[in-house]
Amino acid sequence: MKIFIGESSYIIRKGIIQLLSQFKEVDIIKEFSTSDELEKALLESSPNILIINTAFNHEDIETAISESEHQPVILHLFNTQLPHDSTKTHLSVFENKATLTEKIENAIYISNENENINDSEELSPREKLVLKHVALGQTNKEIAEKLFISTHTVISHRKNITRKLNIKTVSGLTVYAILNKIIGIDDIN
Amino acid sequence: MMVIHGDIKMADLIMGDINILAIIQRLNIPLGFKEKTVSEVCIEHNVDIQFFIQLTQSYRDKDYFPKDHFLTFPVEWIIDYLRNSHKCYVEHRIPTIEKQIIELENNIQNQNSSELLLRFFREYIQEFNTHIEIEEKIVFPYTIEINKSIKDNQLTTTLKKRYSNYHIEDYVEAHNNIEEKLYDLKNILIKYIPPPTTNCKYNTLIFDLFRLENDLKDHSDIEDKVLIPKVHLLEKKLKKLKMEDK
Repeated sequence: MKIFIGESSYIIRKGIIQLLSQFKEVDIIKEFSTSDELEKALLESSPNILIINTAFNHEDIETAISESEHQPVILHLFNTQLPHDSTKTHLSVFENKATLTEKIENAIYISNENENINDSEELSPREKLVLKHVALGQTNKEIAEKLFISTHTVISHRKNITRKLNIKTVSGLTVYAILNKIIGIDDIN
Repeated sequence: MMVIHGDIKMADLIMGDINILAIIQRLNIPLGFKEKTVSEVCIEHNVDIQFFIQLTQSYRDKDYFPKDHFLTFPVEWIIDYLRNSHKCYVEHRIPTIEKQIIELENNIQNQNSSELLLRFFREYIQEFNTHIEIEEKIVFPYTIEINKSIKDNQLTTTLKKRYSNYHIEDYVEAHNNIEEKLYDLKNILIKYIPPPTTNCKYNTLIFDLFRLENDLKDHSDIEDKVLIPKVHLLEKKLKKLKMEDK
């Protein structure tokens, strides 16, 4: 599970990381000290959980998130005390370890529920077909025309392929495709 | 993590974190430190102590990056540092990895796989060389020329002749991320290649890729966070000079 932290205070960031390290589900934590850096990272990939200080520029961040198909669970971090009836997605720097741990645990649970709906790491037949054309060196436009789908759909398939395989470059995908006999080694000459 | 200062013994510093050797190499400092401190070694080899400390500190701790401090160092130091790391990659690190991949041939059951990896890596070498060539042949000389122009308070002839329309932004736009392919290669080796007959060589290759990737990240940090902002600053000053020249 991937978590992004947007918080300008170094000490608070490290404190949150310390809290998160209790959960075995959490494997990637990325921290950002400014809205700009966070926004940039969100445009590249989206986390499962986003912990963000209320002082960050929420409008830009929300636009960045809306682009991605995976919607993160958002926890808002306040620099002030919270009222008693505040929701479980609001955290305060004044809260004790037990309360914060419980709220994070809740967020991990919700995120897991969301994941289970559409997460298999196997490539779908459609994705395999797109991968085949990518590996053969075709452009998004060419693939779209061949498969009678929009370029936008091709891009979305490619994003999913990269996420599932953890391979970012076209030549890396080509190697994968050959190893898995999606294309033959002679096809690429 | 210990904070580095001039009075620590250089040998202790390196024993504490072997990765610092990369910085020692890039600054052209020879080993054989005996009991000398960081300051003593730096003075002996004409390296600014603050420059050494800041480089080492940010290499060890990615959260620690005093950008403003770095911008005060002369641009020649930064270029020398980058040039020396290029040299090490091109002459040693990358050829070593290439050789390891060639040797894999007898080590993985499926011969096609090793051929495939080699092809992939050679493509990477080409990409890498182009990247370095652009820096060595255009970006660095350009930076040195504008720096000289500002120092002498007049545009150098080379600058007028060769770079009249060049801006560092041209480079930034074309500057691609050279670590990505290494990341993929590592991932393919760990996840998708049929298991090797012996792990030893295979693991060494993965370790070396991992180290190179980390080194390159540090290298591009210096480029992106120090060199480029520094050239932006210089270009601003240059604009004034250019106006006067007309």
